[in-house]
Formats: sequence, C-alpha cells, structure tokens
Amino acid sequence: MMTDSMTAVRPEQQLARNGLYRKIADAEFVATAESAIAASFSADDSSAQSRCALTDMTPVVRGGFRGKASADHLQALGLPIPEKPNQALTTDKGETVLRLSNTEYWLLGSVTDFGQTVADVRSQAMPAADCYPLFCNDSHAWLTLSGEHCAAVMAKLCGVDMRAEVFPSGSIAQTSVARINAIVVSHSVGGKAVFSLLFDTGYHAYMWDVLLDASSEFGGVAAGVTALMVD
Amino acid sequence: MKIMNCPLNGPRNISEFVYGGEVKQMPDPASCTDKEWAEYVFYHNNGTGVVREWWLHAPSGYWFIAERHRVSGEVSRTYDPSELDQSEFFAAIPAVPEEANS
Repeated sequence: MMTDSMTAVRPEQQLARNGLYRKIADAEFVATAESAIAASFSADDSSAQSRCALTDMTPVVRGGFRGKASADHLQALGLPIPEKPNQALTTDKGETVLRLSNTEYWLLGSVTDFGQTVADVRSQAMPAADCYPLFCNDSHAWLTLSGEHCAAVMAKLCGVDMRAEVFPSGSIAQTSVARINAIVVSHSVGGKAVFSLLFDTGYHAYMWDVLLDASSEFGGVAAGVTALMVD
Repeated sequence: MKIMNCPLNGPRNISEFVYGGEVKQMPDPASCTDKEWAEYVFYHNNGTGVVREWWLHAPSGYWFIAERHRVSGEVSRTYDPSELDQSEFFAAIPAVPEEANS
C-alpha cells in the first residue's frame, strides 16, 4: 500500500543505493530525498506484522550534535530536550530527539516526511563554538522492530531487559546487541510503538539477517514503512 | 557473566567494557627525563589493594573511573571523572577495613 505522496522507484536509480536492496528484492520501493526505502512487500501479511515486524529506516534522514552549546542550539530551533542522558522525546511531527550523554544529541527523522525536517535542522547555521555536527546519517544504520513480541526478540540478542514495564517509551539503552555495539530506543514511529536500533552501517545486512532470524521464532516478518503509518 | 555498573548507562555485561589502565599523572613530556617518561608509558605498579582505573563503555564511547581491588577483582565504585577534582585525582584511596576485602 502506497500513499499519494510516495513515488515508486527502482533503488538502482537513486543517488544513494539502499544498502539492503538485493536482500529485499521483493519490496516495493519509494523515493526519499537521496535514496529509496521499502514501502511494502509483495507478501505483506498484517497479522504476522502485528506479531513482530522488522523495518529498514536507514534512508530516513538522521543528524546529531555534540558540545556544550548543542542543547541551546536545538532548543532555539524548537526541538524538545530530554532531561537526562539515555532519554528520548518525540515531537508532534514525529521526529525523535535522543540524548546520548550530557552533551550529545541525535535527531531521528519522521517517517511521514522521510526526515526532511531533520535535513532542514542540519542545514541551519551552527553556533560559533561548543557545538559540532555528527554524521550519524552516514555512520549508522537504522532498523525498527515493532509488534507484540519485539521485547522477547530483543531478550534473545541483548543483556538489557526491554520489557515495556522496565523499558518504557522514551528509554534508550546503549549496549551490545548480537555482539554489535548498538543504540536501542523505545519510542513511536508513525504512531506505532517500536524499538529503533542504530548501529554501524557495516553491519546493516548482518543485523537485518540476525533480527529476521530471531523474530522468526515468533512468526515475525519484514515490513515496509507503510506498515508503521497508523492513520 | 560479571556485571559492572557504568555511571552513564547502569549495570552492563563486563564484555561491553574495555580496560584503559591505571589513573596516573603524566609527567611534563617537555621537561621530564627519559626514565620518567618510560615509567609513565611502560611500567605499571604491580601491587595489591584498591586502585583507580580508567574503563571505557564501548557501545556509548564513555570513559569513567572504577575503583577495583587488584586481588579479588571486585569493583567497589565507579564514577564520572568530573566527580573528582584535580587534588583528589591521584591521591591514595581511603583504606577499606580488612574484613570488607575478604
């Protein structure tokens, strides 16, 4: 299912190649600003996706800032600032602000505009000192796990308890997932509760296979971004 | 698995941490002797008791200080380096009563 604002494309035609396009050849791709993202799959099964669904969000724009002045910079641009490290806040439009340390913030773009708002924030003039951009858009891949069994899937792969009662929406864990350093965020994307996993891009295909394999025990499947868009 | 408490992230498996060496004062490289520099870079104190050590939580890239007993390996305290001021940094750690170590 595609919405009217989406343009179907072949991933090979886009400037930035989708890192998984050979693995997910049965997906229907739509254009983002520079790349292509899987919108849906030919064998989409909504009941399997409600059990556990794995979605590639890597083509959605991300950005980060580090330094003592970065909180003031983001606040001046109208973004909410989480109170403590390892907390996340989501804006009305769907962007998520992650606070990863006392002075480091990441922005995850919204699935509705594929991160255009974050791209605009990144193009704003920066403070003269104590605020430095981080290129997590290029350094990190982004997958989301959604569905009722996603905490059980994470329990197979990482040592941190991610059940909803101890890891509620707005929590962040920087830990090891399937032996890879990763940032796990509990938040909502397009109105659906998800775990976002951010990790080195070199492990993009590896982590996709690991998460699909781990979720298969619970009947989990791959899903496109339209599965995350709750009306 | 051993669990260590990261001051930023909370309790984590020890496999997520990297040892960064004992906390020690760097001599001024411009004025110190070669021997002093070699001692700083290569020689390590091989004593017993509780020492301050640098540790890295690799998934978050966060450096902190742990106070660890070199015989039992037990970590008694972990904290952010900003919690110590310069005068405390290289000072001896207050002795722990014998029964607490055994």
